[in-house]
Amino acid sequence: MFLSKIFTSFTFRFLVGYVAWLSVSVFMVLGVIYAFIAYDSFSDVHRSVNQELDELSAAYLSGGVESADTFIREHSGPERLIRFFYFIGDENRQRITGSLEQWPATETYRDGWLGFDLQDALSTIKDPVNTEFIARIKTLPSGEQVLVARHYADILTSTKLVAGALIQSMVVTIILGTLGGAVATALSLRQIERINKTVRHIMSGDFSERIDGKGSRGDLRQLSININQMLDRIEVLMNGVRQVSDNIAHDLRTPLTRLRNRLSELYNETACPDAQGEVAALIEEADGLLGTFSALLRITQVESGNRRSGFADIDLCTLVSDVIELYEPLAQDKDQQLETGMAKVGAFHGDRNLLFQAVANLVDNAIKYTPEGGRVFVGLSVEPAAFKISVADSGVGIPAGDKEKVFQRFFRVESSRGKQPGNGLGLSLVQAVVRLHEGEISLEDNHPGLRVVIRLPRDTTPVV
Amino acid sequence: MRILLIEDDNSVADYIIKGLKESGYQVEHAADGKSGLVKATTEEFDALIVDRMLPNVDGLTIIQTLRASNNNTPALILSALGEVDDRVKGLKAGGDDYLTKPFAFAELLARIEVVLRRQETGSAVTRLKVADLEMDLLAHKVTRGGVVFNLQPREYKLLEYLMRHAGQVVTRTMLLENVWDYHFDPQTNVIDVHISRLRQKIDKGFDQPLLNTVRGAGYMLDVPQ
Repeated sequence: MFLSKIFTSFTFRFLVGYVAWLSVSVFMVLGVIYAFIAYDSFSDVHRSVNQELDELSAAYLSGGVESADTFIREHSGPERLIRFFYFIGDENRQRITGSLEQWPATETYRDGWLGFDLQDALSTIKDPVNTEFIARIKTLPSGEQVLVARHYADILTSTKLVAGALIQSMVVTIILGTLGGAVATALSLRQIERINKTVRHIMSGDFSERIDGKGSRGDLRQLSININQMLDRIEVLMNGVRQVSDNIAHDLRTPLTRLRNRLSELYNETACPDAQGEVAALIEEADGLLGTFSALLRITQVESGNRRSGFADIDLCTLVSDVIELYEPLAQDKDQQLETGMAKVGAFHGDRNLLFQAVANLVDNAIKYTPEGGRVFVGLSVEPAAFKISVADSGVGIPAGDKEKVFQRFFRVESSRGKQPGNGLGLSLVQAVVRLHEGEISLEDNHPGLRVVIRLPRDTTPVV
Repeated sequence: MRILLIEDDNSVADYIIKGLKESGYQVEHAADGKSGLVKATTEEFDALIVDRMLPNVDGLTIIQTLRASNNNTPALILSALGEVDDRVKGLKAGGDDYLTKPFAFAELLARIEVVLRRQETGSAVTRLKVADLEMDLLAHKVTRGGVVFNLQPREYKLLEYLMRHAGQVVTRTMLLENVWDYHFDPQTNVIDVHISRLRQKIDKGFDQPLLNTVRGAGYMLDVPQ
């Protein structure tokens, strides 16, 4: 889970790209270094061979075979760091003297360089060297040909070694770079995950929360600070909106109170039974209006998410049982079977009054929309990640096309409009309450009827 | 009984004053928080009715200030903010009850009477009696004229609340808050159904109905005049 998060994260991909780019750069730099090293050793070889050749020629010219032999003996000792091989032949390359038995079978390279493999040429020196030598020849004015050869394999080996070391260090760089990238990603992911967690929490409505930027430094800290400042600003704006809605509540509900109270005064003062009935109907109208108005305000308040301060650990089992107990007589009056399936569940962190309201609204709806003699089922069960409350009925159900719409404010299914009392706010409120608790609500077909399922996440303990 | 009303909306205030006076209370009125606080601290009252949103000093601050100086005059908070949070805040601040606007006057009256009565009853009661209806709180037994009733736990609780407030109007929200212990807004007349079931048990077959409906307000358990 966390691993796949690392590999898909932007940071990791960025770092992998960076490692790739770095590897190419390092490769180029190492290539240049290699070229320098190689050039240096080759030019050293060239210089030394040329020098030996000149010296041997000079020795031969001044002192003949004897002084050449002396030179060769002096320069072929085992104490010499670099081993040279010498050969002096006549114009037909027949041996006059030298440390080689015969003229080797050479191949000619550019700039007058010769190369050969020396096994048969080195009859006197039992050397296991079986590799390439390079040589240079010089034709003396008298016609003799002087050849100086040098063991070339060690140079090749050392340059190969250098190249190998360079390639290996490249591979190690890539591996370490990628590993380091993964570790760095994991670290930054943890930081970002913390920010995400807080942001999710805030989205679910707890606006008082802020991101703790203490652990992070630099840009992440700056990001935390900026997000926090943005949240402060949003909170100020939201409080402004809430202030306005509070004022509307205050300013509109107070005159509504007056209206309602005057009507009830009128009711008490009127002696005429006809007028009383009329006023009673008016009071009912006013109460309905007020009910709709407060339901709307309540939804707004729940949705504004400032309700988490009412949260406490509650027992859902007791809560759902209380709803059932409250509504059972209503179902019995309609000859309905009210069945229950209750599981013992652990404590849930939430607002008991709002949850009671939500479940009550669902049970109320179920009883209302199920014909006499029907069945209503209320269940509470535990799932791995959630507490599941389901309210099912054998009523008319909701047409598939309307399932999304029933959560909209004031929406009522066409068939129930005018037939059943209601303001079309019940399910909107349920949804708002469920969202406040970070839960999910879904409408399913009960064949026949409707099944409403609420899933409340089992771990809603706020991040401390 | 003297009641102090701290309310800035004159029309609401007039209405409450008129209603309370008709019910036999003496009412003092303060139109803003500051003068209300001064009156509440300098004079003696039996109860306070305090609006939450007030100019100068808000309602909760008034009650907190009074409680901090050991003034325990029962207080009923009035508010247009009818949300649970606010309700909890109001009760935490030291209010004895919380009423959301808009309210029927009967609701206010019922609650004021309960708040005043709460102040009076100190000693623990073991028996409740209304006419020939008797409740033994220790034995959990309810009888009327020698007939023993078999009540469900909730019916018992409902009847107990009604009997404790016999002669007083109790509203549907008061019953939900105190008998069911949930503060919510039922969409249907679900309380009426429970009341009629209780009525079936305690009043059926008796000449004198004790559990009466008060139109536009709630219910009252009493011997009708």
